[in-house]
Amino acid sequence: MEQSEQVINTNASYWPSVGIAALIFSLLTSTLQLITGYIQINSEPSGSMFSPAMFSGIAICLIGAFGGMVAVWHYAREYQVTMKLGKGALIGFLTGVVMLLIGIALNKIWLLIDPEFTQKLMDSTMANFEAMDVPENQKQQMMDGAAQQFENNQSIVTQLIWGIPMFGILNLLTGMLGVSLFAREKENT
Amino acid sequence: MYTKLQNKELYLLVLVLGLFLCITALGGGLFGQSGPWFLQWQHKAFAGLCHQDAQRSFWIGGIPMAVCSRCLGIYSSFAALWILFPLYTEPIGTIKGNRKKILTGVVLLNMADVVGNGLGFWENTLLSRFLMGSLIGMSAACILACGCIGTQQQKEENYGTVRTSH
Repeated sequence: MEQSEQVINTNASYWPSVGIAALIFSLLTSTLQLITGYIQINSEPSGSMFSPAMFSGIAICLIGAFGGMVAVWHYAREYQVTMKLGKGALIGFLTGVVMLLIGIALNKIWLLIDPEFTQKLMDSTMANFEAMDVPENQKQQMMDGAAQQFENNQSIVTQLIWGIPMFGILNLLTGMLGVSLFAREKENT
Repeated sequence: MYTKLQNKELYLLVLVLGLFLCITALGGGLFGQSGPWFLQWQHKAFAGLCHQDAQRSFWIGGIPMAVCSRCLGIYSSFAALWILFPLYTEPIGTIKGNRKKILTGVVLLNMADVVGNGLGFWENTLLSRFLMGSLIGMSAACILACGCIGTQQQKEENYGTVRTSH
């Protein structure tokens, strides 16, 4: 009986864990982006380099990479299994990809609720750059960069082309890290 | 020493991915790319993962790197330590038994640094952010190697299993 349970556990689908971790991290990053976005929109241009949007970027940088690890943790805990690194890497990669897809969908859904969000955020960012005490050419370069980034963020294709490999690789690595931390299995050589 | 690695294929996979991330993170300045830096592929690749503030990044050849100094610390220290592991395995043994505590500690330390700087308690620098990020990268490399790559000396160790109650 115990043996058959073990077989069932080993073959259990990892998709629920991938979906749960991806959903949690997508919601976290999307919510954080929205909150900081509205804080920036509703604040006076300070000319500070450290705007709420930039804080959001740092937080996403730290949070977005840990989806793979959490998915592995959930899978190992739910089914009480150990696994090899390859499986952790796969779970991590898939978590990164699903996280990206959900994030894009959430972003588009929010634009249906508030269609002017991106434009307001862009105007606010430009006003903040205008207020900065930096040389004019540098200011112009920063504004061009911000405008380009806003444009890129609107393109789903661009987000997928760059997002899938990068989110995939990072979460693949943290998926393996998750195996090392929560679901170790002796590797055969 | 390379022959002592338990899982060479895995080591090479992580080495390639780690080096790719690290070289991409260095940005277009390393390759003498021309044109606006924000349009270079390295910057586009990291756009969703880092705030890429030029003022908080190191520069090469008049072009800011594709990631901030903290992220560069993470990627570069991970790749550097991973390259060294076949020659120098001591860090793997050092971190053993404290993996979760160490990783949690360095992540919290970085969060505290971000929040403290944001609230004006202190002002961090390019170098301090790079070093803080390096702690995460080195910890991650050691933990991954400790639990999974290992060496022949660790091969006989008894690995734990996950035990949870429902």
